[in-house]
Amino acid sequence: MDNLAKHLLQRLMRRIPASMLKSTLDKWGRLTAEKRKSLDFTQSKWTITQELVALYVTENPNQGMWHTFQLLDPEDDAHSVELMQFKEQFKSHLSELKRNVSVKIKKHTDEAVWIRVAWGDGLSRPNHLKATYVVHYLQTPYVFVNALSSKNKPLLLQALTLSTKHQQIKAANLSGQKLTALRDLLMRQYQQVFPTKYPSPLPEKLRIEKVQAEASASRHRMAGETFGDGMLPALQSAFFQLETKFKDPTNEAMTQRDEPFICSVKFSSSNLLESLRHCASSGIASTPVTPLLSSIPLKGRNYFVITDNVPTA
Amino acid sequence: MSLLKPFSKLPDLNTANILLVENEEQFQQNLANTLVEETAVTVTVRLAKSLPLPMENDESRPRIDLVVFIINLTSDKSFESAKASLKYLDPGYFLGKVCFMATNARHASVRTGCLDALRQLAVSLHCPLLFAEDQTPVGAASSARRLLTILKVASGLVPNTTALYLSNLTRCTMPPDIDQPSFD
Repeated sequence: MDNLAKHLLQRLMRRIPASMLKSTLDKWGRLTAEKRKSLDFTQSKWTITQELVALYVTENPNQGMWHTFQLLDPEDDAHSVELMQFKEQFKSHLSELKRNVSVKIKKHTDEAVWIRVAWGDGLSRPNHLKATYVVHYLQTPYVFVNALSSKNKPLLLQALTLSTKHQQIKAANLSGQKLTALRDLLMRQYQQVFPTKYPSPLPEKLRIEKVQAEASASRHRMAGETFGDGMLPALQSAFFQLETKFKDPTNEAMTQRDEPFICSVKFSSSNLLESLRHCASSGIASTPVTPLLSSIPLKGRNYFVITDNVPTA
Repeated sequence: MSLLKPFSKLPDLNTANILLVENEEQFQQNLANTLVEETAVTVTVRLAKSLPLPMENDESRPRIDLVVFIINLTSDKSFESAKASLKYLDPGYFLGKVCFMATNARHASVRTGCLDALRQLAVSLHCPLLFAEDQTPVGAASSARRLLTILKVASGLVPNTTALYLSNLTRCTMPPDIDQPSFD
């Protein structure tokens, strides 16, 4: 939810008299019955506003900017961490690292654990409107984080690492707006399906014949092998940064520069993987697909830095 | 060089064979479906992305009577691919057996000069330039009808008319005011 919408909601809630709050929310009709029941109307309006914003974010995970982190070096009992243990550990670690934080953890039906962390500094109470949201699937090494400031980043990452019984955490170079797309891209790594034989269509009319059918079929096959078949996760952007030093023996002035030249290429699309697959199958991109593009689904990243020494990061 | 030759094979009775060359491989399928519905003549359609055609199919391929290059004016690649394919046609085809078909001529994103370049090409090769509307079935049907007219002549099925004769009537010419500034 963007800041303007949050501000508007706050002001609206303030103006609605407390006695009419429940009936007004019912009339708005935006919450399901069970969600409405879960709201406790004896709390202050401020608390209820925060709850509403939190509900909105969990219902609309495909907004805002999510960044992915990967947990590394699991300890021996990392696989047996279960929900209650994780909850307690996380809350205690985080409160040790910083006073005045408020943590709410909930497990959703699709096995995702949603953590909402509201940060407060020495002077004010934790602000749930500007909370950081973390989504983690237990037993997987990936964590998705939204709205985390750089000040609080090391604290949150430390708490996550300890409570999941790992030793390190690093940025996974995958970010985007749609949480579902990021999640599907990473989780699909465990379930890639390779078709053993491409079904060839029956010749419907012998009077129409594609002359270069074999070349076209092989392009389709290679595109399908690289990106997968069927529905692809709706990744929306990919960012390549190329750093290269000037190389021309006749131009001393330029070769003596220490800093490399930086070239950035950004791809964006409503469904990037779908468009890349189509580029490969229609011949716009040459096949076999270059590792620069195939790394996106294979390694589950969309941020690449390419330097002179290493062709693909 | 594997040139496509117009008269190296024997024709079949009452048959016309057309080759549609299109880089995007989209409009050609609709055209093909409409073309084979013709009942007076047996029409066979071959679809290709570009020339040269693979040597493996050469035996089974019939004599191609008309080669149509479908060029999408909004894409430079389309035009370049068609130009590169021209090299693989035997010069005998340019006596009325080649036709250019342009799609999306009225599209907002057509680069200025693209249509003129295509016109220059058609004029220099003495070939007709047709414009087609590829988004609706009506557009595909009317383009198919026009292609059929040319195809029947090119395959020798219309008495007293040869492809060369027809091409003199249908070939593209540059409009006389082409060096005047156009209203874009």
